[in-house]
Amino acid sequence: MKQSGNVRMEGVVKQHGSFTALHGLDLEIRPGEFFALLGPSGSGKTTTLRILAGLESVNAGRVLLDNADVTHAEPGARDVAMVFQSYALYPHMTVAENIGFPLKMIGTPAAARSAAVQDAAAKVGIAHLLSRRPGQLSGGQQQRCALARAIVRQPRLFLLDEPLSNLDAKLRIETRAELRRLQRSLGVTMVYVTHDQEEAMTVADRMAVFMEGRVVQVGTPKSIFQRPASAAVASFIGTPPMNMLPARLEAGMVEVAGARLPVAEAGGQSGAVTLGVRPGDLRIAPDGMPATVEFIEDLGDSAVVLLQLAGQQVKLRAANAQALTEGQPVFLRFDPAAAHLFDSASGLRL
Amino acid sequence: MKRHALRHAMLWLVAGLLLAVWAFPVLWGLLTSFKSERDVLAYPPVWLFEPTLANYREVLFGASSILPNLWSSMVVSCSATLLTMLFAVPAAYALARLNYPAKRASGFYVLATQMLPPMGLIIPYYLVLQKIGGLDTYSGLTALYLSFSLPFAIWLMVSYFEDIPYEMEEAALLDRAGRLRTLWYVILPQVRGGIAVTTIFVFLNAWNEFLFAVVLGGNKVRPVTVAMFNFISVEQTQWARLAAGAMLAMAPVILIGLAAQRHIVKGLTVGAVKGGGRR
Amino acid sequence: MAHTLTAAPARDAGPVTLARQEQRFALALLAPALVLLLLTTTIPLVYLAWNSLHRIDLGMPWLSGFAGLDNYVKMGNDPRFWSSLWLTVVYTCSTVALQVVVGLSLALLVLQIPRGQGLLRIGAILPIVLAPVVVGLFWRTLVLAPDVGLVDLVTRSLGLGSYNWLGDPQLALISVIAIHTWQWTPFAFLVMLATLSTLPSDVYEAARLDRARPWQRFVYITLPLIRPAIVMVVIMRTMTALSAFAAIFAATGGGPGSATEILNLYAYRTSFSELNIGYGASLAMVLMGITLAISWLMFRLRRSR
Repeated sequence: MKQSGNVRMEGVVKQHGSFTALHGLDLEIRPGEFFALLGPSGSGKTTTLRILAGLESVNAGRVLLDNADVTHAEPGARDVAMVFQSYALYPHMTVAENIGFPLKMIGTPAAARSAAVQDAAAKVGIAHLLSRRPGQLSGGQQQRCALARAIVRQPRLFLLDEPLSNLDAKLRIETRAELRRLQRSLGVTMVYVTHDQEEAMTVADRMAVFMEGRVVQVGTPKSIFQRPASAAVASFIGTPPMNMLPARLEAGMVEVAGARLPVAEAGGQSGAVTLGVRPGDLRIAPDGMPATVEFIEDLGDSAVVLLQLAGQQVKLRAANAQALTEGQPVFLRFDPAAAHLFDSASGLRL
Repeated sequence: MKRHALRHAMLWLVAGLLLAVWAFPVLWGLLTSFKSERDVLAYPPVWLFEPTLANYREVLFGASSILPNLWSSMVVSCSATLLTMLFAVPAAYALARLNYPAKRASGFYVLATQMLPPMGLIIPYYLVLQKIGGLDTYSGLTALYLSFSLPFAIWLMVSYFEDIPYEMEEAALLDRAGRLRTLWYVILPQVRGGIAVTTIFVFLNAWNEFLFAVVLGGNKVRPVTVAMFNFISVEQTQWARLAAGAMLAMAPVILIGLAAQRHIVKGLTVGAVKGGGRR
Repeated sequence: MAHTLTAAPARDAGPVTLARQEQRFALALLAPALVLLLLTTTIPLVYLAWNSLHRIDLGMPWLSGFAGLDNYVKMGNDPRFWSSLWLTVVYTCSTVALQVVVGLSLALLVLQIPRGQGLLRIGAILPIVLAPVVVGLFWRTLVLAPDVGLVDLVTRSLGLGSYNWLGDPQLALISVIAIHTWQWTPFAFLVMLATLSTLPSDVYEAARLDRARPWQRFVYITLPLIRPAIVMVVIMRTMTALSAFAAIFAATGGGPGSATEILNLYAYRTSFSELNIGYGASLAMVLMGITLAISWLMFRLRRSR
């Protein structure tokens, strides 16, 4: 298990002309962690990854790897490996030559090189494809080749740029588990960029949520899921997304859609708030918020019900469709502990 | 069904006609080169005649041998091609893939040099070479061929370089390759096809060049394109010998053209579709 | 395993190292070519401009000297110059138009032929790879020559008599236009063929469902889609036509008289036959100006569309 691979970014600012991609980023990643950078497109996560790789310069701030300042170091000198979204395999070289290329560049003798290549290829399960060209491989195999090329260098930091986005759904789920296993067995620090929050939630030890060039929350997937720091984060994490309703908070009760319901964690505050409730936390009840069933998505072993509530569409997830019909009026309630309260102006958690 | 067959027949006819129109000078010339001078001038034209190699013998080994001219063409064309590719490929890589100050301006400049009519250059070339005694020399001629080969080659190679995904350099840099080794190990192998096509075109253009050859060459350096006029004078035209000479002069380009026709067609269309306008 | 990678010490050599390195590398690669280009194009052009301001007579060197704008003034009053300008316009416009129209038509026809397109592509290559001077000589001797040439044989056997294709001023212009068109139409043909075969078929299927007839499909779908290719072909062929020299020189030498003397042939004859290089240089300057102006115009046109 490596004890190196500690990453720290302090006050990193990145600008493209007049557009600021990153506003003063502070981040710390611990050695051996599987760390996800999650966010919608354009939020700055890929830029952050490329800055770590050394492929982009910074306008201000520092990047430290194992406490050494590498802010201006060349990509090749950082001992960092990267798997590109398109894999960037060298099409004119065989798989073996692709994997062995980094070792060739630092002058590893041929015998040692081919042993290392065999080793890396075996770790990702493509040892039987060594004499093929990338053009002859399937998408999944190409990805493993890219992984092997990164592994063979035994880097202290592993960067992955949306590595699963080019795979089909089933393969994505299989590969995600394998990546996790691989990271555990190698013990290397992995930084993983994705826009798919389900992916990040399943593989990462900790993650950072990016929005518009800033990190808005850092923590374990579970902690972010259970206590999102802002309405934006709350809507982003979870499928289907959290329902957000305008409400009024007063004395431990929240008034929403004409009903008054208790909430925990009110903390004695009052005023206009945004109430967040996950689809899985809503229940049909004899009384509560009045809503009309709009559409029922019966998925077999669960159901998602779309309802109209106070002029807004909300979603409810349940184990079954509960004999509901379209157009039926119902009442909705939720467990007080399942309510998330956000300031209606800033969006931050109360 | 009948309509279909008729239509097909018409199209085949057109195709056949087309082929005939385009191929006829070469075929006619080939035919003529095996005729004796008398047969050539005969009317009605003689289709069945006794073929003779006399013309080729005269043109290759006789008093009006064009062997030294073939040699001139070979030397000038090969050296010009080699030099061109040596300078053009790195330059095209820089233009296509690297960032540096005045990048747009330099791209524009290269493009502009391609637009120059050769007549504008031949006059100063002649005057300067005359002054320094560079007329009728291999080095003089070869160096000035670069004026039209270089911009063309750069422009073609740029489009091939641009086809490679940008992540190639990034991956190689991360693999500790450094800029030069990235170019050598990763990028160049991927444009091998483009280099081949460009080399062919540059060679063809150099071999076929006439204006520069006739003005800047002389008695010592006399490419075949100029030597063709040996067979034409005010008094008479040596038809059959001209045909034989032309066949020999054009043999290399025809052979290359036929052998590499797929490459050439691709190269023509790449050049046209990608365009010469630099972004 | 004896392979271990040790991390190179991170070098903090300043904020612009990476970009500066790339720049230095780029300039190292580019500089030799740029220097060569400067030496072989820009500097000679300056010299050309300088020459155009002189009277340089290689045959009578004692007459040479600075002449200011005399050459240009002389040009304005030179009927032969204006005629050459006119001929250049006629030559360029007709050859380019013919090439595009014929090339496109042929490509459309050939596309419908089920097989044999490969053979036609080979056939199309032949005119393109031949040296223009050889093409000119061929046509002059084996094709257009009275009594012996192919065309003459055909016209005589058809009872149309014999014509002096290259000796008659009217016919000579037509002949050189034909020669140029013959040689370069295959280029337009090949480009059009390649472009047409990459057109998406579903757009046409939609059009057929919309009851568009063949010529409507051509005008409203095909033409707009291939417009970039047509523009490119026009630009490239125009450049070639403006600087066409060898074929005309070989076929007619610019004659009879000045019947086929386009501007660059006039410049050549003035400089190297009549040895009046100063005037020839000014003619070349005008040709240069025209060529640059037209290419600038065409690229602006292309970019704006």
